[in-house]
Amino acid sequence: MATVTDLNISEVKLSEEYVGKWGMFINQDVCTGCQACVAACSMENNIAFVGPEDAGYGRTMNWIRIERFWDGEYPEIKMTSRQPMMCQQCGHAPCEPVCPAFATVHSQAQQLNLQVYNRCVGTRYCANNCPYQVRSFNWRDYKRPEPLPNQFNPDVTVRQRGVMEKCTFCIQRIHQAEDKARSEGREVADGEFTTACAQVCPADAITFGRVDNPESLVSQLTKQYEGLKHLPELGTLSNVSYFKGG
Amino acid sequence: MSKNFSRRDFLKLAGVGATTTAILTGCGPASRYVKREPYMQMPEYTYNGQSTYYATTCRECAAGCGLVVRTMQGRAIKTEGNANHPLNLGKTCARGQATLHGLYNPNRVRGPIKHTRGERLYAFDEDPFNGDFPDVAANLSWDDATQVIADALTKYKPNEIAFLMGAAPDHLFDFVTDFTSATGLNAPIRFGALSMFEARATLSKAAENLFGETGLPFFDIGGAEIVLSFGANFLETWLSPLPYTRGFTGLREGKTKQRGYFVQFESRMSQTGGKADEWIPIRPGTEALVALALGRLAFERRGGALPRAFADVNPKEAAEKAGVEFETLERLAVLFADKAGALAIPGGAALGQSNGLEVAEAVLALNAIPDNFGKRGGVYLSALAPTETEYHRPASPKEMEEFTAKLASGEIKALFVHGVNPLFELPKALNFKAALDKVEQVISFATFPDETAVEADYIFPDHHGLESWGYQRVFTGSAQAILSGAQPVVSPFYDTRATVDLLLAAAQLVGGKFAGAVPFKDEVEFIQSKTAPLKNEANGFFSAVDLPTFNASFQQYGGWWKTESAFGAPNTEDVLNRDFDGAEPEFNGEGEFYLVPFVSPTLAEAGANKPWLQELADPTTTVMWSTWVEINPETAEELHIDNEDVVKIISEFGAVEAAVYKYPAIRPDTIAMPFGQGHTAYGRYAEGRGANPADLFSAEYNQAGDILFGGLKVKIEKTGKKLAIPRLESMMGVYGEGLGEE
Amino acid sequence: MIKRLFDWLKQPLGLIAVGIVFLAVFSVAVYGLSLTQKAPDQPIQFPHNKHVGFGIQCLYCHPGASKGPNAGLPSQAKCWACHNQIARTQTSELLAPLKNAVESGTPIQWVPVAQVPDFVQFNHRAHIAAGKNCEDCHGDMTKVTVAENPQVFNMGFCLDCHVKTAGEDKVLLNKLADCGTCHY
Repeated sequence: MATVTDLNISEVKLSEEYVGKWGMFINQDVCTGCQACVAACSMENNIAFVGPEDAGYGRTMNWIRIERFWDGEYPEIKMTSRQPMMCQQCGHAPCEPVCPAFATVHSQAQQLNLQVYNRCVGTRYCANNCPYQVRSFNWRDYKRPEPLPNQFNPDVTVRQRGVMEKCTFCIQRIHQAEDKARSEGREVADGEFTTACAQVCPADAITFGRVDNPESLVSQLTKQYEGLKHLPELGTLSNVSYFKGG
Repeated sequence: MSKNFSRRDFLKLAGVGATTTAILTGCGPASRYVKREPYMQMPEYTYNGQSTYYATTCRECAAGCGLVVRTMQGRAIKTEGNANHPLNLGKTCARGQATLHGLYNPNRVRGPIKHTRGERLYAFDEDPFNGDFPDVAANLSWDDATQVIADALTKYKPNEIAFLMGAAPDHLFDFVTDFTSATGLNAPIRFGALSMFEARATLSKAAENLFGETGLPFFDIGGAEIVLSFGANFLETWLSPLPYTRGFTGLREGKTKQRGYFVQFESRMSQTGGKADEWIPIRPGTEALVALALGRLAFERRGGALPRAFADVNPKEAAEKAGVEFETLERLAVLFADKAGALAIPGGAALGQSNGLEVAEAVLALNAIPDNFGKRGGVYLSALAPTETEYHRPASPKEMEEFTAKLASGEIKALFVHGVNPLFELPKALNFKAALDKVEQVISFATFPDETAVEADYIFPDHHGLESWGYQRVFTGSAQAILSGAQPVVSPFYDTRATVDLLLAAAQLVGGKFAGAVPFKDEVEFIQSKTAPLKNEANGFFSAVDLPTFNASFQQYGGWWKTESAFGAPNTEDVLNRDFDGAEPEFNGEGEFYLVPFVSPTLAEAGANKPWLQELADPTTTVMWSTWVEINPETAEELHIDNEDVVKIISEFGAVEAAVYKYPAIRPDTIAMPFGQGHTAYGRYAEGRGANPADLFSAEYNQAGDILFGGLKVKIEKTGKKLAIPRLESMMGVYGEGLGEE
Repeated sequence: MIKRLFDWLKQPLGLIAVGIVFLAVFSVAVYGLSLTQKAPDQPIQFPHNKHVGFGIQCLYCHPGASKGPNAGLPSQAKCWACHNQIARTQTSELLAPLKNAVESGTPIQWVPVAQVPDFVQFNHRAHIAAGKNCEDCHGDMTKVTVAENPQVFNMGFCLDCHVKTAGEDKVLLNKLADCGTCHY
């Protein structure tokens, strides 16, 4: 009988042919930088707000942020395409091997990078090793005074001080959709559910789905726009593709 | 501690202590067990642990987007867009998401209050993140509240009573309109800061002058091939941002043709301007000239007789005045003339100049070159909502000044305020505070302890939007006529009451003509009386055999809309048959900088009390929780000003202080400031944070009655102070620590 | 100073003192542990054994178990549906809280005993669908009066069963032993 230790956790193919399971395609050409995804993510995932002082220290907890860059100088200046940046759910993730507590592990079943809050001891090694800078650390028990907690999503753990956190690709929605599909004896259909950020995006810049299914919308769009990965030279095998556009 | 007491010993001792403590407290039943209250009577459509979804309408602005709210065990958990709703097709903006932080805001008005003007409505401390800031408790019963209103209705003459209302909700406005017209009271007046910064009066007046009929133009960006926007911030808060954002995606993806081209003319790069293929920083005040020059050049390109509208302009001179290369104008004019779907959109600070109306007309007239009026990729007249016969726009600032004068003269003795916060939203120059002091009785129906509620004698809080019944007319953004329906998604969290119900009760109490004016049992009956005629209308997207079914479907789908397009094609005979003088506007003030005030895209006029909106990075500067003033880096260098230096911005009419943000995409002769902060009340997250650029405005108006918010020249003065403004772009933090710069 | 303390502790009186301190800490710890094993006070001394004994199915009162994550607690309307037809309800002292709650319209505040920590996302439906019976985790309710926690729901208990269920099926094991199955 197999036990948990029999699992080969590092069984990830380090090759160009690697295909994850869940992935995203982001069309930066239409992203308007409106921050609706950031707000939606915070509401869905019980993310704490940190207040101006800690925000000034760069301790904001957002799991997704919209980066904006300048190109050129006045008057020939351009705000280049906005870049929504969240955990890229790497197939070969730099954050995973550095965690001494095995709190940052790879999900074989979902092909996602997990953050197991109850294992996390707060070394922050993972955040230091993440080339995308998408992990955020709970420096304090950030207060959400009553009655704000009434809004909490019961499907997502409320994190405490000393715990690292990051985008989960709304794994609670994945489980919910899979559970529903199983109860009806079918597979999860493409577009049946999506992440909070993709659902809210007024410009339809974010598409979420199965990247291992060539028929899914996300695969089709990635192909059509020739989506590129960030920092491919690091061999992270990221699951998020970007189209920068003009 | 002695040297001999090693770290190991300490850990051992500490370990024993910690274990004992953990056993005694951490694992004890007191911490482990919680109490759970089951439903007393479980609603039949509810299962434990499963969410229930309700369709309603967003009340964060007046656009009327449909929401579907996920609720669980009687709590609202998450808002999503209503996928069926033709206006927003399942999407929301950041403010729509954060509406739950309004519903469960720690500072809400908890019940009816009799209140001394100026007194605090909640305890406040400098640090809103720690400590407890209890709200003032309710000190009246709702029966008392009803009596207070009834007394006001009987004590004062009909023309001494006035209603001041926000742009939402429409059902309450309709109720008050019916009520006041049947009883001879003053008709209600509506205002919103968003429509002030959109210069909506100017836009609709320009459309009226050009097309000969009232209505709000709608610009079909999604179908266009080239878009020239003169400062219209249609991706932010402008009119109805969600359909315009969808249109923008359509422009970029250009499903049938190639990717559309987008050019923005403005002196400070807005979030919208940041998405443009070409951003052209023309000198403030030359917008009309540039539009006319483009018109002339495009017409010459197409050939044919030059129309009156563009005959008088000299394109070369215009280019020079505006500070643009003539070749750029020529190139754009060629692009504009050659494309079928070419669109020009007026908006932004240019309409808030003394020649704002001419700017709006000149830019609108550009659309006559490819004659795209009433065509795909062109300009339509917005569809009227199903229960509407003509477009009602909120009061212009000029009309608000007249209203304020009426208050100040003592003509109005009782003022009812709902859904608007004039003490924050109206520029200080209108001196609304002094006018309010002259009113004998001020009754506020505010949900939140805002500035106007603080200056009221009574606060009779209405429900939050998610706890309310209602409907909202969609005034622009969709081809279909839409009446968006609202229903409570959770039961009221506090002891609040629907204002319609309160007024109904008061009318009953007074009796006589008041009771007869509104013969309804409650708010729901009133709303259903208004929606009932829709049952028999053709082309509704659902049909119902009887009224109860119709009402149930109206609730379930979140409104009623038609299946066919109701876009109006403007009458365009006279569009180009007019004279433009192309004169430059007058700017107020002696300062060397043009001031561009803009609405914060994330906070808008009423978002400052929602902590997650405060913590959203501004889309252009990535600043959070603050007000900043944008200055071109070169100008800043000349003045020896650096990031985070606090400067004083001085107009002839006021002064505000804000920290500097060196913004690379702004004209060197222009500074810009966001509107949305600078509250002196409105809850712990809003109060005492930042400054309000509207304090700098002068009480002067353009021909359409919009205030000259884009027509100011200001001075800046260094204060010697520094204020760290948190921003997302600086992952190292903004305090300069750890950078060796101490 | 520490050295002097150790020297003192090594003499007989010191050893006795150490013994007393150890005993005190130990007994407090044992008392603390015993507290964790005690069922909490419930608003109503609800006899599960009687209700199950009457042949009432678990899902009659906890129907959420087959539908979603929470089994759920029955509303008092559900209790009352049967109890208002039972004469003893009107007189029994033990049932007085139920009667009071229904008559005054105040909810009953139950204290759930079968709990998992906040960082565990448990779903009843998947377990019922996989063929688990209620008693596999919650114990034999015909023997329980006031609900007790029959089983410590720690990770070993869950994972044992998950691994057993998967057996030789490596794909299923990947799924069932994945951290992300329960923790997110």
